[in-house]
Amino acid sequence: MAQRLRAIPVSYRVPVMVALLMVVISAVISERVLDRLSHTQKTYLDGLAETYLDGLSSAVVPAVLRQDVWEVYDALDRSSSSYEALSPVETVVTGADGRVLAATDPTRMATFSQLPDSYRKRYGPGIVTIDEATSTGFAKRDLVYQGQSIGTIHATFDVSHLFAERREILVTLLITNGVLAVLFSLGGFLIVRQMIAPMRILENHMRSAADGVAEPISQNQIPKGDSEVAGLFRGYNTLVQAERERANFAMQLAEEEKLSSLGRLASGMAHEINNPLGGLFNALDTLKKHGETPGVRDTSISLIERGLAGIRDVVEAALSTYRPERSHRPLSADDLDDVRLLLKPELHRKRQRLDWEIIWNDMPELPVRGGPVRQAVLNLLLNASTVTPEGGALSLKANSSGDELNIEIGDHGPGIPPDIAGILVDSDPGPAVRAGRGLGLWMVRRVVDDLGGSAAITKREGGGTAVTLTIPFERETKSNAA
Amino acid sequence: MPTHIQPGRRTVLKAAVGGFALLSFPRKLLAEVAPFQFGLTPVFLSNDLELLGHLRAYLSAKLDSPVELVTRRTYQEITALLVSGEIHAAWICGYPYVQYKADLDLVATPVWHGKPLYQSYLIAAAGRTVDDWHGLAGDVHAFSDPDSNSGFLVTRALLAENKALPEAFFKRTFFTYGHRNVIRAVASGLAQSGSVDGYVYEVMRETEPDLVKQTKIVRKSEWLGFPPVASPKSLAGDARVRALQQALVSMNKDPEGMKVLSLLRLDGFAATDPSLFDTIAAKVETVRQFG
Repeated sequence: MAQRLRAIPVSYRVPVMVALLMVVISAVISERVLDRLSHTQKTYLDGLAETYLDGLSSAVVPAVLRQDVWEVYDALDRSSSSYEALSPVETVVTGADGRVLAATDPTRMATFSQLPDSYRKRYGPGIVTIDEATSTGFAKRDLVYQGQSIGTIHATFDVSHLFAERREILVTLLITNGVLAVLFSLGGFLIVRQMIAPMRILENHMRSAADGVAEPISQNQIPKGDSEVAGLFRGYNTLVQAERERANFAMQLAEEEKLSSLGRLASGMAHEINNPLGGLFNALDTLKKHGETPGVRDTSISLIERGLAGIRDVVEAALSTYRPERSHRPLSADDLDDVRLLLKPELHRKRQRLDWEIIWNDMPELPVRGGPVRQAVLNLLLNASTVTPEGGALSLKANSSGDELNIEIGDHGPGIPPDIAGILVDSDPGPAVRAGRGLGLWMVRRVVDDLGGSAAITKREGGGTAVTLTIPFERETKSNAA
Repeated sequence: MPTHIQPGRRTVLKAAVGGFALLSFPRKLLAEVAPFQFGLTPVFLSNDLELLGHLRAYLSAKLDSPVELVTRRTYQEITALLVSGEIHAAWICGYPYVQYKADLDLVATPVWHGKPLYQSYLIAAAGRTVDDWHGLAGDVHAFSDPDSNSGFLVTRALLAENKALPEAFFKRTFFTYGHRNVIRAVASGLAQSGSVDGYVYEVMRETEPDLVKQTKIVRKSEWLGFPPVASPKSLAGDARVRALQQALVSMNKDPEGMKVLSLLRLDGFAATDPSLFDTIAAKVETVRQFG
């Protein structure tokens, strides 16, 4: 019931409730008024009947004493015309023996006849007994003379006018209250409609905002007098304004991010290309100086070849952002050897040592994409070299046991600052990336994420930092593997 | 044209008398003369205030004296006042007149339809089928007054002639103390039949036709002496009583008197012989003999 009521729009619910309230009020008022009226009428009727019986009894007592039929009749006849307010229908005067002395209508109640029992039995406890079915009232008065009962007056009154008056008042009440209920309901309807009209405007704006077009409410729609609604509208407009600014800012950020990504990509690529270039130039120098020596020449050419392949791989890695099929070749032991080779010149320059510890299982290739792993390991080793002082030691441990590959790169640096470390280990690398630092780590993070792995940073015993990458094996060879 | 001159002269005369009365009498009358007391019984329409006003005005003028009209509820009260000489004259019924003939002088008798006679009627409700007065046996019967000729004695005598008493012939009887009341009682059904003055009945046929229409006449009695105006024998020779007789007899020759007569539907008053009431006396005798 309450739910069904709530389903009705408020602009109808309020008038309906006002009308219902009016009906309840009307019912209560009507009941009270009719009750009071009925009480007043009863008192009035009792008073009239008393007066009538008083007057009549004083008029007829002497005649009743004398058994003077005519005098009794004459008194009844005269009194019936002088008590019109009471509308006496019939009055019967009986003597002490219960026989009729005279009645207002002797043809109905013959003189000297016995009074019917129904007359004696019709009286209730009050002064006037009312029979609603016939709209008549009954009252009686014992005629007492010197302490002795000499007769009785039995009076019958027409009280239909009392009922008519009650009906009339009830109808008046019903009509008045009905008209008031309708007027109040109509007033309630109009007031509520006026009150919720601004809400409609707000609702329409919000609905179109949900569809993507958030428009501020125009100034001429903001009511001047209603400060509450005006406040609400202004609040909404402020919200729309803020949302627009936020959207603009996000768009700008996205644009900046796009440019920054491109920059990072280009920078990363340059970095990756630059790394083997040192090795390539060394190889070229070796060729120039000792090119005649067949062993050296072959080794150098092979080195150049591998360096170029590395550059090609970097380019391919860069391209793999857009063409992922390029870097899907599985990881082999050669890939890690390439990394050591590529790193060698840098280590030599800084007189650094690399502790190399590979536990490779029997498989020639691991079910892990080789390109990204090589790139990540290279980046991490280059970083480690950068932070480790000259003459220090780096380390690489790889373990391909079980169904995952663990690679730990160690350095003797002062440690990675927390905000840079976040790029590698935080769930969201965003803020650190936006700071524009640690592009190498950012690339590693991208690779680890891409391979579904994870990274951890730990302090090493005896100083330095260790970065551990955990890369799970791919369950099955992807169909798009190159 | 003498007929034209005569009323004119009478008017002038009356105006002169009236003016003289106004100028010189009031102080003397109020201070010294006891009012002439004239008793009225309900033989006629005694409840008519207009009639009483005219009658008093007429008699006061004619008697050169203030007149007090004395009314009582019953015949008996007026008769008692009259016989004891407490009042100077009264319009009484033929029955008490006959009863107290020895103590009363006949002053004048009204003339109705040319004669000083009237009848008594037995009446019943209009819708009732009744052939003659025998059909009224077992009724609740309304009498006018125990001292009324037409409203009691005539019926009582009729029953006595037929060897019956009212209490035996009728179921119940009651007195209404007025002829008009008898008609009302019968019309309303309070009584099934009634004994009423024929003169009152006929006058009311004109004045209250709706009431009279509800009744019908079952029996009319023989013509009897009209209720007369009488005075106590003790006042015989009183000038004002003689003046009263003169005033009554000449009533139909006076405009004020004519007003009274027209209200009473009477032709006038006549000085009649007491033997006019012998028929009533005979009825009294009949009743007395029966017991």
